[in-house]
Amino acid sequence: MINLPMMPTIVMDMVGSLIIIVLSFLSLRYAYLLTRRQPDNFLWGFLFYFCLTLAAFSVSRAVGHLLKQILLIYGNNEQWNSLRPMSGSFNTLLMISLAAVTIYYHKGIEGYRAIQKKARSIKEANLQLEVSAEKLRQLNLNLEGMVEERTMELSKSEKKFRNFFTNSKDMVYFCDTSNRMVKMNPAGLEMLGYSMEEDPELNMLDVFRNEEDLDHYFETIVTVGFVEDLEIEFVRADGTVLYVLLSATAVYDDNREFIACEGIAKDLTRLRTMMEQLSSGEKMASVGQMAAGVAHEINTPLGVILGYAQLMMDDFSPESEEGQSLAVIERQTKACRKIVADLLKFSRQSESARENLLINEVLEDVMAVTEHSLNMDHIYVVRDFAEGLPGIVGDTEKLRQVFVNFVNNAHHAMEEQDKGKLFLSTYYEEESHRVVATIRDTGHGIPEDVRSKIFDPFFTTKSVGKGTGLGLSVSYGIIQEHEGIIEVESPVNIDGETVKGTAIHVKLPASLREPVSVIE
Amino acid sequence: MDCKKKIHRTFPFLLLFVLTVFPGNAWAVQSHGAPEGLYVHQLAHIFYAAALSYLFWDIKRNEFRAGGWRYLRIFCVLMVVWNVVAFVGHSLAGYVHSSELITGSEYLKTHFEGTLTTANFLCYFTKLDHLVSVPAFICLFISMRTIYRNSLEEEEV
Repeated sequence: MINLPMMPTIVMDMVGSLIIIVLSFLSLRYAYLLTRRQPDNFLWGFLFYFCLTLAAFSVSRAVGHLLKQILLIYGNNEQWNSLRPMSGSFNTLLMISLAAVTIYYHKGIEGYRAIQKKARSIKEANLQLEVSAEKLRQLNLNLEGMVEERTMELSKSEKKFRNFFTNSKDMVYFCDTSNRMVKMNPAGLEMLGYSMEEDPELNMLDVFRNEEDLDHYFETIVTVGFVEDLEIEFVRADGTVLYVLLSATAVYDDNREFIACEGIAKDLTRLRTMMEQLSSGEKMASVGQMAAGVAHEINTPLGVILGYAQLMMDDFSPESEEGQSLAVIERQTKACRKIVADLLKFSRQSESARENLLINEVLEDVMAVTEHSLNMDHIYVVRDFAEGLPGIVGDTEKLRQVFVNFVNNAHHAMEEQDKGKLFLSTYYEEESHRVVATIRDTGHGIPEDVRSKIFDPFFTTKSVGKGTGLGLSVSYGIIQEHEGIIEVESPVNIDGETVKGTAIHVKLPASLREPVSVIE
Repeated sequence: MDCKKKIHRTFPFLLLFVLTVFPGNAWAVQSHGAPEGLYVHQLAHIFYAAALSYLFWDIKRNEFRAGGWRYLRIFCVLMVVWNVVAFVGHSLAGYVHSSELITGSEYLKTHFEGTLTTANFLCYFTKLDHLVSVPAFICLFISMRTIYRNSLEEEEV
């Protein structure tokens, strides 16, 4: 047997009912606030209706229980008995409603899930978009840096190549398919005799001296793609010729179409002149050696012929036929001996005097002999002798002979014109430490094909009998003997202007001593 | 097969025809006795418990892991327990003899005097169902408040 008081159950029923009413309404309030904040959110809607039904159920049940306890406490059992079925029915109804709301959630949640899925995918897409945008932004930032860096590198590289292009001592050029030289460096323009300020529109046709060379160059570029070490001649602005070593490469576009070419040309004129001089010197040396040998061999029999001829002339009267024949033999033998003597002079086999002398005096001596005959042909001499020139060491007679030869040649060149001017000038060339004497005429000049042969022995443009062709050879030999050089200029370039005629520059080493006495 | 289908289709019409031609006794309005209310109430408890179980499972299935939803799940569990307690309480109400409940002059001094059987003990215990329902509603309150606050925070973010 036990005795359990029912008081605790009654108190708990009443207090619990009150607490449940309060809590259910507080929950409903939050659910309501949720729906207010986000009216489109299905979940909040469900929670609101769920809490609303719960609140209704709580009220129904708790009020029922409170009413029951109050009525029973006050002894109104009958009243409670009449209300009891109604309270129970309400509770039943609300429980079913609550269950229905929860079950209804099943359908709603599916729709909500689909929306959520969609929203999630949109959110993910947005997130990816944001990530992509961020990447793009970073890339953009880096791109600016990269572009800046590349631009700097490019600028550096461009500067490097620009320096190479501008400072190169060789010609660097770019030309298009129509052979137009679109760009040329300053050295190239200088090489061709143009200035940067002029900015000339050049074409390969104007620059190449020989059209065949240009055809060959262009054909090789197009077919092979490059030309290498092509030795050709360019024409300078003043018409003079330039020997160059040319290398060029074709430029193609993305479709392998030939669009331009770029090339480098090295000026070989100086080298070529030196080579020619060397070659000429060697030729002259060998000819001189041969001439000396021949002269020696001929000189003896000629002496014998001349001796015997003169002896025989004593036996015959000069008027006799024999005497006249012997006179011819003597004259011709002497002529032969002169030629032999000239040959020996050319080959430097003849003896030379060595004395300190002044070039101006030598030229004045020459003019004293030749000026009169020049004036007869209306050729006037213009002197431009530098004062205070250093002396030279040499053979006065031989040097006179040299200058007489040059003056005679100038005379012959101007003879046909019946007038002309002979310019004689001297000056001191400090860099080579040489005294230079220039004899310039205004004659017809020397044809180009002849220019390289004028110092060859027996080469002459005069008619047979008028010259032996030894004059310039002998002059060459004498100047060589004096360790000097002869330069020939035809036509003549005076201050950038080309003038008809020929200029002979005789350059002789200056002496360190004063010209006072004869050395030998 | 076609013959079977025809029979199936025509059978309902045939039945309707027989009932119409031979009506007999038709009890159109059924009268309800007192126990029906209790049965409906008990069924409502089952229905309510089932709905809460479904809600519990669905919240779990949808991986609503935020704090608020966890409290809602606890609410569901406690309310299912409450339904069981209430169901048991209603069921055992008939097993307690009215002679064992001594009310006397004051209702508040009512006490139970009798043999302590399982039914009596359970019946007494089920009267204290608020021990389960009050914590359940506390969980519901916390759940709603947390969900609301979370939604506020999310919006701010």
